[in-house]
Amino acid sequence: MIKENFDSDLYYRYSTMIRFLYSTTILMLIASIANAAEPVKFSRDILPILSDRCFHCHGPDPAHREAELRLDLREDAIKRRDAHAVIVPGNPDESELLKRITSDDEFTLMPPPDAHRKPLTEKQVETFRQWIAEGAKWGRHWSFEKPSRSNLADTNAHPIDAFVLRKLQQEGLSPTPQASPETLLRRLSFDLTGLPPSSEEVQAFTENPNAKEYEQAVDRLLSSPHFGERMAMWWLDAARYSDTDGYQQDSTRNNWPWRDWVIDSFNANKPFDDFTVEQFAGDLLENPTPEQILATCFHRNHMTNGEGGRDPEESRIDYVRDRVNTTGTVFLGLTLECAQCHSHKFDPISHKDYYSLTAFFNSIDETGKAGGSANPYHAYTSPYTERAVTEAEQIVAGRKPLEAAARKQAEAEFEPWLQNKFEQVQQHGFKSWRVLTASELQSVEGTPLRQKDNGTVIAEGTTLFQDDYKFVASVPVKRLTGLRLEVFPHESQTGGKYTQGGNGEFILSDVKLQIRKRGSTQLTDIELDSAVANIEKKVKGRNYGLVKDTLDDDPRNGWTTEGVEEIEVRTAVFALAEPLEIADDEELIFVMLHRSTTGYANIGRFRLSATDQAGEAVRSLQPMPLEQLTDEDAESIASITPETRKRLLSQFLVDHDEYQNVKAALDRANRHLSEVNKMTGNIRVQILKRKDEPRTSHVLVRGVWDKKGDVVTPNVPSAFLSTNSETEPSRLDLAQWIVSPENPLTARVIVNQLWQLCFGEGLVRTPGDFGLQGEQPTHPELLDWLAVEFMESGWDVKHIIKLIVTSQTYQQSSDITPELLERDPENRLLARAPRFRLPSWMIRDAWLKSSGLLNPALGGPPVYPYQPKGVWAEMFMGRFNYNPSPGPSQYRRTVYAFWRRSAAPTFLFDSAQRRVCEVRPRRTNTPLHALTLLNDRTSLEASQFLAQEAFSTKDGFPQRLKFVTDRILSRSLSPQEASIIERKWKHSFNFYSNHPQEAAQLLDVGQLPRTPTDQDAERAAWMVIASMIYNIDEAITHE
Amino acid sequence: MNNINTQGESVSRRYFLGRCTGISLGAMSLGLLEQEKLRADAVGLPELPHFAPKAKRVIFLTQSGGPSQIELFDHKPGLMKWAGKELPASVRRGQRLTTMTAGKAQLIMPARTKFTRCGQSGATLGEWMPHLQTVADDLCFIKSMETDQINHAPAMTKFLTGHQLPGRPSVGGWTSYGLGSDNRNLPDYLVLISKMKRPSDQPLYDHYWGSGFLPSKYQGVKLRNAKEPVLYLRDPEGMPRQVRRNMLDGISDLNEIRFDKTGDPEIATRISQYEMAWRMQSSIPDLNDLSDEPESTFELYGADSRRPGTYAANCVQARRLVERGVRFVQLFHPDWDHHSRLSSWCTARCRDTDQASAALVKDLKQRGLLDDTLVIWGGEFGRGVAGQGKWDSPEGGRDHHPRCFTMWMAGGGVKPGMTYGKTDDFSYNVAENPVHVNDLHATILHLLGIDHERFTHRYQGLDFRLTGVEQSRVVKEIIA
Repeated sequence: MIKENFDSDLYYRYSTMIRFLYSTTILMLIASIANAAEPVKFSRDILPILSDRCFHCHGPDPAHREAELRLDLREDAIKRRDAHAVIVPGNPDESELLKRITSDDEFTLMPPPDAHRKPLTEKQVETFRQWIAEGAKWGRHWSFEKPSRSNLADTNAHPIDAFVLRKLQQEGLSPTPQASPETLLRRLSFDLTGLPPSSEEVQAFTENPNAKEYEQAVDRLLSSPHFGERMAMWWLDAARYSDTDGYQQDSTRNNWPWRDWVIDSFNANKPFDDFTVEQFAGDLLENPTPEQILATCFHRNHMTNGEGGRDPEESRIDYVRDRVNTTGTVFLGLTLECAQCHSHKFDPISHKDYYSLTAFFNSIDETGKAGGSANPYHAYTSPYTERAVTEAEQIVAGRKPLEAAARKQAEAEFEPWLQNKFEQVQQHGFKSWRVLTASELQSVEGTPLRQKDNGTVIAEGTTLFQDDYKFVASVPVKRLTGLRLEVFPHESQTGGKYTQGGNGEFILSDVKLQIRKRGSTQLTDIELDSAVANIEKKVKGRNYGLVKDTLDDDPRNGWTTEGVEEIEVRTAVFALAEPLEIADDEELIFVMLHRSTTGYANIGRFRLSATDQAGEAVRSLQPMPLEQLTDEDAESIASITPETRKRLLSQFLVDHDEYQNVKAALDRANRHLSEVNKMTGNIRVQILKRKDEPRTSHVLVRGVWDKKGDVVTPNVPSAFLSTNSETEPSRLDLAQWIVSPENPLTARVIVNQLWQLCFGEGLVRTPGDFGLQGEQPTHPELLDWLAVEFMESGWDVKHIIKLIVTSQTYQQSSDITPELLERDPENRLLARAPRFRLPSWMIRDAWLKSSGLLNPALGGPPVYPYQPKGVWAEMFMGRFNYNPSPGPSQYRRTVYAFWRRSAAPTFLFDSAQRRVCEVRPRRTNTPLHALTLLNDRTSLEASQFLAQEAFSTKDGFPQRLKFVTDRILSRSLSPQEASIIERKWKHSFNFYSNHPQEAAQLLDVGQLPRTPTDQDAERAAWMVIASMIYNIDEAITHE
Repeated sequence: MNNINTQGESVSRRYFLGRCTGISLGAMSLGLLEQEKLRADAVGLPELPHFAPKAKRVIFLTQSGGPSQIELFDHKPGLMKWAGKELPASVRRGQRLTTMTAGKAQLIMPARTKFTRCGQSGATLGEWMPHLQTVADDLCFIKSMETDQINHAPAMTKFLTGHQLPGRPSVGGWTSYGLGSDNRNLPDYLVLISKMKRPSDQPLYDHYWGSGFLPSKYQGVKLRNAKEPVLYLRDPEGMPRQVRRNMLDGISDLNEIRFDKTGDPEIATRISQYEMAWRMQSSIPDLNDLSDEPESTFELYGADSRRPGTYAANCVQARRLVERGVRFVQLFHPDWDHHSRLSSWCTARCRDTDQASAALVKDLKQRGLLDDTLVIWGGEFGRGVAGQGKWDSPEGGRDHHPRCFTMWMAGGGVKPGMTYGKTDDFSYNVAENPVHVNDLHATILHLLGIDHERFTHRYQGLDFRLTGVEQSRVVKEIIA
């Protein structure tokens, strides 16, 4: 019915009307001057002041109430108190309130100075005076009254424009003319799909920029599957969706099928009331479908805490409250969380009301645990996994032949290498380990150390509790790959063993390796990543025994051979994570820490040696491959045993960089495939499920989780609905109340958020607070009209969005005149379209789309866009590692990016934190954002890819430039702009012509190694230009 | 250059006020774009400070995990006779334990250390921090700290943001928001985390230095100990500075054309922020290069200070940052969570930090910076008097304890050589002069010239402040 209302005829009438209005506005403006003696409106003019300045002590919360006075209730305010009344309707001068707010005496002035609330302005005082004079009429807060449609004077006008223009006329302003067709289509595409338009779409529309074409573009974009992805990004922030638990353990969860359910729901234009009911209580519907059960994951997207020592019941209470708070912010626009510890200070929500709401969510069959124990789960098979698996298999299949070819190439190089090594070994033999001679020997606690000619270091007296030895030496190899530590027994030590302390057994708690340039004050830590020993004490857990525990800098574990009967040399080999090239003026520092809890286990005699052999040679105690070659004493290469040959080849390949690069790419593809494979079949998604034995719910005193007060039953706040139901209401009843036409809030709150998606700010600028402390709507009648329209259309989201974007208000230009900027800097009157920076996820998606890299696939397991190395590893000290997705899975939309709660994607900024629900976008402007946009690898790869396409498909500077700017900016440049860019291009071209190596480096940003060409200077210059244009303000802005 | 900056500061502040009160744009003699750029560079809130500050900057040495006050600071010689005995119920008063020790006998484990009276002030300090003993007369110990959270993440969140749930701005974020920085090439609030080999059980979440509901420019910037100290700071391989500069000039020229067309002041801010990014690209990598420090610095701060990324090197770094006008520097040293093996675990963390913490105080003092630099040392809670594991074995450790713990502060208007507050004979409850975490925040803000009750930010209709809704007090007794 509503849709018929919106046929294009009507649209024409709207737009004709608007055009007419534009021409007549000026005349009407002159006539309209702000009306002087308008009566005071309680909810608009008085209640906000009462709330802000008075309710803290004279409001709904009994705990903080002063003087037994309530100013939220009329009967209390006008009651006679001894000789006076706070408000005497019709008689301002007799009203104590007016005396108090104007008093000169700091003891009687209200609000009192020590409350740190601003005194009332003269204008506000006058408003109070007028209001009391007019009879002190009371009313309810605007958002607690049901919305109703106000009459539109002109039924032909687009309703949005009618309301906006009426206000502009009152203010003596006129709307801004329509934006250019390019800007309009670009704005529309971002708002409806989160992506810029293609060059072809822009061209088609600019050739024929009429209302009909515009409406067709609206319909096309609304039916694009990218619409659902764009809307999901809004909803995921509101739903605090994440792929991990958060808190200390931050375990991975598999709730992503719910994310796809959200996308599908928006694409199918599921009515918003059904969308809501299913998320609150899909499990309670009759014969629920798997998807309806899946929907309830909405209320399981909260964080879960798996920290050791945490009481699960305390966590569970947190989750229940999180659901209530999320419901408040997202659907009701109420700061319910304020009533967690005490009754709300401003809104009519008592402490008891709050806990009555928690009762709806208190009887979920959950334990409060995290990780894999966060019951209840729903076994669900995602229809989107299969595509991801096929794609992953294709990536592997594509990389296998590359690896095989690289290996073949490397193996061809192996033969001459082997020949060479064979001859060297024949002539000079092979020395696997070279003993180190210390240039400096020190101990921290004072054990004297000296070195003998054979390299053995002797600790004179090892009776101290703990000590660290520091061994400084030049290295007899050019390249260091590993160190060997030999610990010798000696008769001078206890029991003829290894130390004079304790029982003669040594404990080496940790070792450290550093390098320094001679004469420098600075040391560099060198990472050791493997340690093996000929003998260790076999232990489990954190204990003294295993040699690998010497690498973790934890004194509670380490290497000992205690309990091993035979007394012989103990040998350990430590491998460097990466071979280290050592300059002549550099020296090594090897530190041996004896910091065990038991102590008295400092090594008495030891020797250190170094090697340059990589790979297996330093990761096992077997003879090194070249040593084996020496030992075998083969006559010719042909007579080398196959086993030795194999070990030699594997050592050769370890050092073969080109091969290792290609192999790493294949490894990444295989790892990706195995991860995606894990998502086939049923996976466990967190959902809501009723507990068989319901829990009793209580008011929690001061909000403390185990301080149980009065028993409460499920109920909605009485200020909004009086229920006399015989049976106890369920979660389903709550959901139905939320979307009932009797609920004054939900439709307003949601259309406000839809408005915000298109205008950057809502009609209410505190989208999460429609209560007394929230802002008033800039256009109350428009908000109400849209809310009613939303409900009457059957909660039709696409319909409301179409209404918004077909208004002339939406289609205005965003250019700002200084006068208008001064008059209305925040654009509350909507005399122009807003201009604001795109959300960072949209910027990334725009890079992918405009460059041509975008993989438009829908749904499926999360992907891992590029992120700088080491971010997760640093935070979790290695517990989690981030592996960017390979092949086309790298270029998926941001909505599919894996979200680690404690380390949100680094390439996003000003994004919601996904810890608790968020409905208000952040929009700041910092140098860190600039750095991200300049240097994020996705942006560089997009620049490179787009530049290459411009270069290879177009000829000449102007054509190539047009190609790039059409894609990035959706428009052609002015001659002035083009000439600036041409100068910058020439500068870059000159530089790269003289620096071919830099050009090749710059261009080598893709996933697979790139072969330089002789046109790299031009290509690199184009890449710089593409990156430059991606970084101008316009490229990242909703204009 | 300096003159222009100074002028910019005052003009921008006036302009900022102008924007708020509606002064006409045309009243300014500068071009619109220039004015907007200056506004973008404005720092701090015009109404701050509320009164003359004693501290101009802060170095917060955050010891994550909960260091044991019993071994390090809170000397209780009387505990020896209680060794191995059950903690009296009259002391415990049914207070909360973690599920790790709940339900187990609470057997008293006396301190594993000997204590020494130090300096003129006679403060008692455990033997595991010998260097700190040498600066005891410069420190103010608060032995009566208390918090209401018993698990790490909520307690650290409370300790740094005033509330146990993530989402509020950190104390550094509030400071940056209120006061800004004196340095236009560096962020106002920098965070340095010790590089550790061992996987820590307590991740350091970025909300610990987050800006919460404040604009994100007030969040702490983490200086990583990596080739790229700040994420995305390094230009790609093959793009040297001259190419980048050329490109930034192009961005700026094109943005100015767009500014002329659209009139959007945000474009001016964008231009300023890109220029600041350019400056940071040279100012920040310099920070990690300590090679211009003399040998004496490293002797003072200890051997570890030669290794970039260690706590000791970060202490040197902190001093350099405050010298450069950074308002708030926060160090984090993880892994104080010694549930077991105090003599190897707790001592390891003491060896990481003791010399450098003491050296920082000495160094600031000898440079005349200590007077107006507030140094704060402490963790999110303390440790319990009962042994965890066997109380009489070297393997014994201590569980979390929020009811009392010790912190120290130095400089920045705090009385030196002072000990404030007392615990009971068991270091279990606060006996005198409790200082709640919120009181600590009120005191820090006070030292910075800010009245914590008046320093609010409106978000979702509510006026939030660092110290929350409960009454909290400035601990005036420790202020010089």
